[in-house]
Amino acid sequence: MTSTLQVPTIEIQGANPRRDSPRTRPRTFSLSSLVGKTRRAYSVSSAYPPKIHPALALPVPKSSGDHSLSVRDHVFGDVWTDPRQSLCSPASNLTPAQRRNSVAAASRRYEDFEQKMEAAPLFVLVSTYLNYLVLILFGHLRDILGKVFKRKKYAHLRTNEGYAPLVSDFDSFYTRRMYLRIRDCWNRPITGVPTRKTMILERKTTDFNETFSLTGRKIEAINFASYNYLGFAQNTGPCADAVQDAVREYGISTANSRLEAGTSDLHVQLERKTAQFVGKEDAIIVSMGFATNSTTIPALVNKGCLIISDELNHSSIVFGARLSGASIRVFKHNNMVDLRELLREVISQGQPRTHRPWKKIMIIVEGLYSMEGSIVNLPELIRLKREFKFYLYIDEAHSIGALGENGGGVCDFYGISPKHVDLLMGTFTKSFGAAGGYIAGDKTVIDHLRVRNHAFCYAETMSIPITQQVLTSLSIIRGEEGTNDGRDRIQKLADNSRYFSAKLRALGFIVYGDEGSPVIPLLLFNPAKISAFSREALKRGIALCVVGYPATPIISSRARFCVSSSHTREDLDDALEKISEIGDILMLKFKETSS
Amino acid sequence: MADDPNHVINATLGSVYKLILAIPGSNIALTYIKTAYQHDPFRIVLELFLVFFALKYMLSKKYKPHDNAVKLTEKEVDDLVEEWQPEPLVPTLSSFDKFNLKNSQQINGPQSVKPKVADHSKPLMNLATTNYLNLVSSEQIRTKAIETLKNYGVGSCGPPGFYGTIDVHMDLEHDIAQFLGTEQAIIYAQGFSTISSVIPAFSKRGDLLVVDEGVNFAVQKGVQISRSNVRWFKHNDMDDLERVLEDIRTEDHRKRLTRRFIVTEGLFANQGDIAPLDKLLDLKKKFKYRLILDESQSIGVLGSRGAGLTDLFNVPATSVDMIVGSMANALCASGGFCAGNEEVVDHQRLAGSAYCFSASIPAMLAVSASQAISIILNQPSLLAELNDRARSFRVVLANKSLEPLVDIHVGDIESPSPFFHIRAKLSFLRSRLRDYETEFSREDEEQLLQDVVDECAYQGVLTTRAKYVYDQERACPRPSIKIHVTIGLSKKENDKAAGIIKAAIIKSFNKWKK
Repeated sequence: MTSTLQVPTIEIQGANPRRDSPRTRPRTFSLSSLVGKTRRAYSVSSAYPPKIHPALALPVPKSSGDHSLSVRDHVFGDVWTDPRQSLCSPASNLTPAQRRNSVAAASRRYEDFEQKMEAAPLFVLVSTYLNYLVLILFGHLRDILGKVFKRKKYAHLRTNEGYAPLVSDFDSFYTRRMYLRIRDCWNRPITGVPTRKTMILERKTTDFNETFSLTGRKIEAINFASYNYLGFAQNTGPCADAVQDAVREYGISTANSRLEAGTSDLHVQLERKTAQFVGKEDAIIVSMGFATNSTTIPALVNKGCLIISDELNHSSIVFGARLSGASIRVFKHNNMVDLRELLREVISQGQPRTHRPWKKIMIIVEGLYSMEGSIVNLPELIRLKREFKFYLYIDEAHSIGALGENGGGVCDFYGISPKHVDLLMGTFTKSFGAAGGYIAGDKTVIDHLRVRNHAFCYAETMSIPITQQVLTSLSIIRGEEGTNDGRDRIQKLADNSRYFSAKLRALGFIVYGDEGSPVIPLLLFNPAKISAFSREALKRGIALCVVGYPATPIISSRARFCVSSSHTREDLDDALEKISEIGDILMLKFKETSS
Repeated sequence: MADDPNHVINATLGSVYKLILAIPGSNIALTYIKTAYQHDPFRIVLELFLVFFALKYMLSKKYKPHDNAVKLTEKEVDDLVEEWQPEPLVPTLSSFDKFNLKNSQQINGPQSVKPKVADHSKPLMNLATTNYLNLVSSEQIRTKAIETLKNYGVGSCGPPGFYGTIDVHMDLEHDIAQFLGTEQAIIYAQGFSTISSVIPAFSKRGDLLVVDEGVNFAVQKGVQISRSNVRWFKHNDMDDLERVLEDIRTEDHRKRLTRRFIVTEGLFANQGDIAPLDKLLDLKKKFKYRLILDESQSIGVLGSRGAGLTDLFNVPATSVDMIVGSMANALCASGGFCAGNEEVVDHQRLAGSAYCFSASIPAMLAVSASQAISIILNQPSLLAELNDRARSFRVVLANKSLEPLVDIHVGDIESPSPFFHIRAKLSFLRSRLRDYETEFSREDEEQLLQDVVDECAYQGVLTTRAKYVYDQERACPRPSIKIHVTIGLSKKENDKAAGIIKAAIIKSFNKWKK
């Protein structure tokens, strides 16, 4: 069966991984290195997930808290490699140290990031900054003049009858002077199922984006905006049928929190099934993805503990970390060298001021970063974990279902046993076409969370239709229905993602994201191009997300494509053609096309 | 001597000068500098001072946040890393945790007024859920939800900003705003996360929150994460609130005006009592505060239309700046909302982190909430019926035989609250202390209440103790059994259930520690 699942490797000139040598990333920037940038020593190119080379298989600890493994033996004893390196290339002859370096050097660093920006065509850089400068100058000028001449319109920015302004003019400057101008690119209302096509309700504005009204016209667009990775956003089919039956029988809600008589047998069933799927002993489910992080992290760490967080972690993780009262340190995005240095520093220095040892250290990373399309360097993290004895919490909001041969997330993707990760968190919003999230871990940990997790104790339970949708989609993904539907979806997604990003690169766009990532960001740079790209795309019937500062660094505004298994090849080709057209208009093809 | 140092310097300066002159246009610059200095000796002093200042600044010690670091050698760092042993990820479960885990009921099959509960053969009469108006069994809601499923699927697959705003969301926002009588409303995907996202969206570091001590956990967390200055006032004590506000007024006499908010709950989840909205509004106006009101418990049950506290007090909803509510409690759907004027709502679309960074609520649930609101609007008799049930329930429990044993919060027969807490009387607990005990523990008390819950279940009534994340509550409320009345039970069943609870309390309390 596995042989039928081989993904055709897409050969794109200049975009192919070089597996023959451990590449250290060139320090000086060139466009070709930017394109090759995402090829990391551990990135996986054709058939995934990598099969673990028998010689490399790790002894599985009994529980993730088990640190009895001798650190020294294992750190250098066995080494995680890209298995295809060891199977089909001479790279396996490298010494462990070399290989580790190659992994480290290939992962993205902030310095690399900055270099890249500096060396991106100079006129782009200059014009981007100029763009912002003009916007800021004009904004302030308008503010100053407005406050003098249009006192009524600017009343909300002044102290009013003894009330301080609800939003101060400094805080809201960005919103009023930049976001407002291009606000039509966000919060576009839709109707119907957000599947391969989505139906957008056209809006118009008569007051420069202050307010919108619906025109009543509907625009059908190819959907690259929804996180519908495995195409489970459906209104027909087995999931919809099962949900319908469940609603008929169970209703909608269980009308209280999990601990106070709101637990339904469906919840228990889903928890068991989720735990099996991700390969942990037990799991709990929470009715909202955001809350899964924000209410779990405070239940795990508190004062005297340290959270080490990737700089690009999602807002919900930041929210939870702040609530927990633990100290927080941040490391450069996916940069294991920086993390290693940080770990040595924090462990040797202990808590700030008192220098007492940390009670525990928890590293929180995401499996797949939704704005970058980068995949966490898990093998290196696991190695660090054994050296430094921290706890590892992975947020698989985007990667669960979307990565790995079985859709099992990053562990599945790398072929690493989930036992090495202490807590696997994920959401059901994306690949499962539902809502909410889960946290999976050892039985003792999950039992602890059952009485300490805020959402479990106080919040509403996952509603019945959502629970049923996840139950059914999960069994389809696992192939329990006896069909190949799940496998096909995973395969299709992998094909589509690879095809689409490779084609975009070949067209000459600057594209981020690791191979295999269904999230594909395309760099726009200039703030003016954010709206232009989005509007041009909508004109041509493409729905996509555009993001700028503050969600991204100020210089690297981007458009983001979320590929789905529901997209057909024709959809992708059609979209590519139109995007190419937009790219010509907006001068986004920074790289010479390689044809 | 030929290499007289003066000579050398002069020669070097001369050649440098020539070099500079060789640059085209340098002549003009030099002349400009020369004349500028000749005319303005003060300028020389100033510029020299600036040069010194810049040098001093550059040479001064840099401020680093972690600069009390101890200098360690590589070897020492290695050793320290080797040596460090973390605590286990979670502590072993305490006996109390195990007790709580064991004693949370599981419903097999649909939630309803008479659900099947695991380990019980017969269905139990349900007094443990917020199904006040029996909306969980509403056929109308189910039919509408299924209709929605056929048009929209289940998940919304994206945050509201990224094509996750569905037309039914806009309808629901409109419905809520109209139901309450505010300008606009914004919906969040989970009731619990709403208030803890709304508070930090408006109140930042340096702003001021004046908060009731009795607020629920979600509000506490919102207050905590906002990092604002916080002042607490005694639960529902308007005199104390006035005192606090007066204190603040004298304190920040000359300070810059910051945003100031009073934060309180409409119907308190932990006490079952109601905030005196009229007095709150007076104080808020007098001292110029904005009011954030958490109506999670009160929406759909209080007031003649069920529109919450403002409805009950008959004041326009626009007089409260932010009304935060939940659609998961009385409305039996899911999600939360914040209603207010256009500015309040619009600001949250970018600043409400749980709105902005989370997938929007599934269409089916939004439609269910819309339906629930329309049911309440169209059948005001439901609310009257609920009031009636609550009243007769309280009448039964106001029995003399319970007086020495328990307190009812709120036990006032006229209280419009559809739920109340039963707490053991302190005098009773003290009277049952064994000789060697000086104080009773929380565990003892919970155990006693669990006995009552078990006895009730045995007699055919499902109740539950109120559960808390004990160690994270600001001041954890005393243990209680939380009773929710429902119109799903007929008048007769309602009275019967009340009788069973009364009997169970008497039985368990009398047996306890004897």
